[in-house]
Amino acid sequence: MKILVPVKQVAVLDEDFELRDDGKDVDVDFLDYELNEWDDFAWEAALQLQEQHGDVIEIVPMTVGPEEASDSLLKCLGKGGERAIRVWHESLQDSDPAVIARVIAKVAQREQADMVFAGTLASDHGYSQTGVSVAAELNWAKAAVVSKVNISPNASCIQVNRELEGGLEESIEVQCPAVLTIQLGINEPRYASLRGIKQAKAKPIEVLSHTDLGLQDSDVGIAGSRSRVRRMVMPAKGQAELIEGSVVEQAARLADIVKQLRGGV
Amino acid sequence: MINPAHDPQAITRILFQDFPLWMMVVFYISAVAAMAMFVYGCYIQVRKYWRGQPISLKQMQQRIGLMLRDIVSHRTLRRRDTSAGIMHAAIFFCFATLFVGTATITLEYDILKPIAGWTFWYGDFYLWFSLLMDLAGVGVGVGLVYMMYRRKWLALPKLDYHRPDRQTAEPDYDRSWYRLEDWLFLWNLIIIIVTGYVLEASRLVWLQTDHLVWDYRWWSPIGTSVALLMHDFGLSAQGAGELRYYLWWFHGLIAFLFIALLPFTKAKHMFTAIASLSLRNAQPTARLPLTDPDAETIGVRSITDFNWKQLLHTDACTKCGRCHEACPANASGFPLSPRDMVLTLRELSNNTLQGRKIPMVDDLKAVGDGVNQIRSETLWSCRTCSACVEICPVGIEHVPMIVEMRRALVEDGEMDAAVQTALQNVQKKGNSIGENKRKRAAWTKKLDFTIKDARKEAVDLLWFVGDYASFDPRYQKVAQSFARILQASGINFGILYEAEMTAGNDVRRVGEEGLFEHLAETNIAKLAACEFERIVTTDPHSFNTLKNEYPDFGGNYDVIHATQLVEQMLTDGMIPLIRQANRKVTYHDSCHLGRLNKEYEAPRQVLKKIGVEVVEMPRNQDNSFCCGAGGGRIWTPDPLDMDKPAELRMQEAAQIEAIDAFVVNCPKCMNMFEDAVKSTGNDDKLEVIEVIELIASCMQLESSESNETDTTTPTEISEG
Repeated sequence: MKILVPVKQVAVLDEDFELRDDGKDVDVDFLDYELNEWDDFAWEAALQLQEQHGDVIEIVPMTVGPEEASDSLLKCLGKGGERAIRVWHESLQDSDPAVIARVIAKVAQREQADMVFAGTLASDHGYSQTGVSVAAELNWAKAAVVSKVNISPNASCIQVNRELEGGLEESIEVQCPAVLTIQLGINEPRYASLRGIKQAKAKPIEVLSHTDLGLQDSDVGIAGSRSRVRRMVMPAKGQAELIEGSVVEQAARLADIVKQLRGGV
Repeated sequence: MINPAHDPQAITRILFQDFPLWMMVVFYISAVAAMAMFVYGCYIQVRKYWRGQPISLKQMQQRIGLMLRDIVSHRTLRRRDTSAGIMHAAIFFCFATLFVGTATITLEYDILKPIAGWTFWYGDFYLWFSLLMDLAGVGVGVGLVYMMYRRKWLALPKLDYHRPDRQTAEPDYDRSWYRLEDWLFLWNLIIIIVTGYVLEASRLVWLQTDHLVWDYRWWSPIGTSVALLMHDFGLSAQGAGELRYYLWWFHGLIAFLFIALLPFTKAKHMFTAIASLSLRNAQPTARLPLTDPDAETIGVRSITDFNWKQLLHTDACTKCGRCHEACPANASGFPLSPRDMVLTLRELSNNTLQGRKIPMVDDLKAVGDGVNQIRSETLWSCRTCSACVEICPVGIEHVPMIVEMRRALVEDGEMDAAVQTALQNVQKKGNSIGENKRKRAAWTKKLDFTIKDARKEAVDLLWFVGDYASFDPRYQKVAQSFARILQASGINFGILYEAEMTAGNDVRRVGEEGLFEHLAETNIAKLAACEFERIVTTDPHSFNTLKNEYPDFGGNYDVIHATQLVEQMLTDGMIPLIRQANRKVTYHDSCHLGRLNKEYEAPRQVLKKIGVEVVEMPRNQDNSFCCGAGGGRIWTPDPLDMDKPAELRMQEAAQIEAIDAFVVNCPKCMNMFEDAVKSTGNDDKLEVIEVIELIASCMQLESSESNETDTTTPTEISEG
């Protein structure tokens, strides 16, 4: 049984930052990068299943991203797993979640994976789309916001718990193969020691482009995307004001504010 | 002395007097059997140690010299328990005398006489020999009786073997076998001594008519006194002769039993303690062991992952409890006692490594929740303060063993979430606090001068600032004070600004060796690009690691702690003091400056020179009680329902009357004690203050912009 775990190297904002000149993203000078937190939990879930069942389960982390994104794969491999896959080509730049999901689905097919464990969302863009879109691309069953996984290898069904609102959990059965998007708190991700990460550099990371996966240039990047970023903005900070005085004075001040906000007068 | 009528050669003790041949045969068979058993036991033990990892030993001559010095002086045994030390010395030296005496007889009777016909055990020599042996027996006896008294009536808490790292219901909670073993050991020895005297006495009674014996009886004063007593009770010469046979055999066999079982009982500490003392490392905690970065795994998982010296350490422990008493984790109720850890490993190695074959790996696991395994919570309770290593009378080095086991835990990613966060911060940001790298030098903005950038210009003194001085709001004030002192004293100094990363002291002590190596290599590369004479730091942790651990990675520097530097500057008159502090305080030795680097004097001298009177706490200098923040514990919050080590320490300080400050020299101590002074309700009585801040106040350097909220700083004193 093979579990594919797509991970994302997310951008982390500095305390002070500036937007790019085109206004579509944050200036890279103000970004740090790290493994997406949800994906850390997804990888831990896969690691624990492998520890539980032994070598019958193979776990493979993958990412769609440039050379630098290998750091996140190394962090995964530092904890376990024997190899990883990274897909990149410059034409993949500015792809939307649908495109990323298309790429991941192709990798899942190529790997003949039985399961895909994705994070519920990524901490930078927060689309919550990629995982479920992979299921759609593959036409597999899916379960989102998973808080517990119970798998016996080679079974046709798996049991998972999903986190609902109000502290409620839903226990469901999902037909295999399936895509799970993993919620925070499902486990306690272990620490990847720096030695482990260094030694992981000896493990192979296979680098593929979209064409290796049978995708055309038109399937990826802006061309293949169904949405695009128009601009990023910093919402103006609201200002609170404590209105004091008699009821009449307060009412007058309130009326002024309303008029001011409507832009009239 | 000797009656001229007597032939000196005849004045001796006739061995096996009147024994039939078969008895002598039985005796020699028993002797050989006992010795064979002893040799076999030693072989089993040595083979057990040999199953540990190899180590290379350097400077053995020096180490053995230190061992001899410590054994002759009994220094390590007298520390913090003078009476036990003196009594042990009595037992040790007198027992050694008795052993040499017995060996002398063997040498003459069994070796020199049969081979070369030489004899010397007669006449004057024999008489002096008799007197010495008689008195030595008293020494051993008195010592043993005191040891019994100490166990039974003093009921010292450190001799209670109930364990803090186990619950009462667990099978290895109550180590009653150990208490039994202690008593058997004492009784065995005392019976040998007492039967020796009674045997001697019965021989005297038996041979009362023999002038060659009776005329010289007072050369054995104790034996003679017993003999007279026995005589008064009506023992006849014949009866005494009878009694002598039985006692002779009883005394002999029990002594043989002692020898035969020695390698398997507490008595083996006679050898293992000497070996352990000879193998002592000069800096066991200050300079942690290196590992092979390319090895498949690092650290200690199995008992056989320890090196043979460490396995021998576990056998050297005499359960004296000095470490148990000194350990801050144990004192605050954490599940760690250094003694119990060592004894757990001893049991594990005895159970697994004494047999002909070594069992499967699973049975060898040293870290785990089972019987005779060390629990991870025990390992994480340690603050690497080295109080245990410092006080161990037999030279056991606990801290490197703990760190080695932590290394394996870290490799498996098993640790407290808070430690994980701190390590991830260090990986990503170069500091454990999680602050942005670029803000490392933000604290300098409050100064009205600019500190030189050591990366850009040559300086005399490179100041390695450290994480807490850079980012902790309280300790930033110390950093600012120190900067002003250096500036006002005209020192050419600089800092590394954003290029500095944490030195890695805690990272290494937590067991994250790979990250530590990365930090050391990165900092060493940064330092290599700078021009400076020496390095100063206010942080004893950074001080220790730069000074003692970076050399292993190619970074050799002249490193000095801020208090040492300031002490020199005060001596040389370089510091313009405006006033004397005129305060009475107590001073807390930090582990890393004190115990680990033996610098107790410089901070005290500094305080003296600025008019601060130090009233010592009961535990000071090498016995200082850790604030509880070392070894990465600063990252893990202590549970609320427990006494924190810092609180215990603050209560100790609060007992001292008429002091108004608790003086520290370390950012981690500062952090811990600032909390403890409040949580113990002593904040109206004691101010937690750094040595550096006291000096700065005597130089009136506390500028208003850095201390707008600090009202405790005297600023209005006018000077001529």
